[in-house]
Amino acid sequence: MKKGILIFAHNNRQIDYARMSLVTGSLAKKNLGVPVSLATDPSTVEWMRESNIFDKASEIFDHIIIVNRPQENNNRKFFDGKENFVAPFNNGNRSSVWEITPYEHTLLIDSDYFVLSDNLSKYWQVDADLLIGSGYNDIVGESRTGYLDRYISDTGVKMLWATTVMFKKTQSTKIFFELVQHIKDNYRHFADVYRFNPLMFRNDIAFSVARHIMYGFEQDAEYSLPPIFSVTDKDMLYDVDANKFTFLITPTMNDQYCITTVKDKDVHIMNKQSISRNFDKLMELV
Amino acid sequence: MQEEFKKALDFSNFRQTYSIQRKNLKEKIDAKLTYGFNGGIFKIDRGLLNFVQMLIDQGRTEGVVILDINENPVLIDKLNEFKDEIFDRYFSTTLEYFEENQELKKSRSIEKLIDA
Repeated sequence: MKKGILIFAHNNRQIDYARMSLVTGSLAKKNLGVPVSLATDPSTVEWMRESNIFDKASEIFDHIIIVNRPQENNNRKFFDGKENFVAPFNNGNRSSVWEITPYEHTLLIDSDYFVLSDNLSKYWQVDADLLIGSGYNDIVGESRTGYLDRYISDTGVKMLWATTVMFKKTQSTKIFFELVQHIKDNYRHFADVYRFNPLMFRNDIAFSVARHIMYGFEQDAEYSLPPIFSVTDKDMLYDVDANKFTFLITPTMNDQYCITTVKDKDVHIMNKQSISRNFDKLMELV
Repeated sequence: MQEEFKKALDFSNFRQTYSIQRKNLKEKIDAKLTYGFNGGIFKIDRGLLNFVQMLIDQGRTEGVVILDINENPVLIDKLNEFKDEIFDRYFSTTLEYFEENQELKKSRSIEKLIDA
């Protein structure tokens, strides 16, 4: 079965997801030993050409798949340590992954998910058609993990994290991704039923609800991918060297920062601006 | 008093970094002790090692079914090969854990902690 990784990248004026995906794509390829493809849109490709990264992207990615940019008014507040800004959040086309993936067995990862170990490679052989990140694992620990990081709402189902999704191209996964699209199209209705906040579309919620429905409204202990080890956007990527990432993190989400490092461990870095500031160093890892 | 308070804060900051580094190390080791085999996922721990060794000692070495972390039955054709793999992984990973943990324990400053 042909295995591979797929990353979506749709730039906006503030965040260069395409540039980020060069790093995440090449790290994933290096550490998991399978090809990587990029799904992006014409304007992002144009930007990649203008900023002279398209050739590098062609080297790294097995396929560069052109899709339509999701047309939606989905804005969110992004933090960069103590600063913040509002930017579009164009991630509403993940449900199309089943149609566009060039692989029979696909690992879908976010463009800010840095694969620094071979941990995910052991999940290729798991006897399941669909695996989703089973939860959130904060770098500081439980003290910074809120209820809504673990559940989609006060009374809703367990939150799965669509930062990593592994699936085989089967009839049941086709139905699953069609259901994710249906939930997105009827987000307010499902928000009423599952009591989650409908203001901003989140793949994590759509995937959690779809899985809950597909598995007979049961929350069973089926196989899943490991919890997503994450560094919030109030923390900052400070430095990068030979596979060791140094972070400034704020354990109590205030102005006090402490320093920590991550090595040989996959990490989801939510502070996109701090990734951009370290882009040259990150590229040295490639 | 001001100086003592600053020292306490510095120590608190050191302990916070230490505690996060320890948590991250432990999780890294846990991930390395997760082993995918024949459609199942196993946690390599003392229970699994003992159970597998006991089955081998009883002469049950082929076509053995063991429950994985989700309590799903997984068929293991050649238990000796499975045992060799999990023992190797267990010893190399716990040795790595020991060495990196020692480095952390010896560190007396934040700079040393993050270099460990």
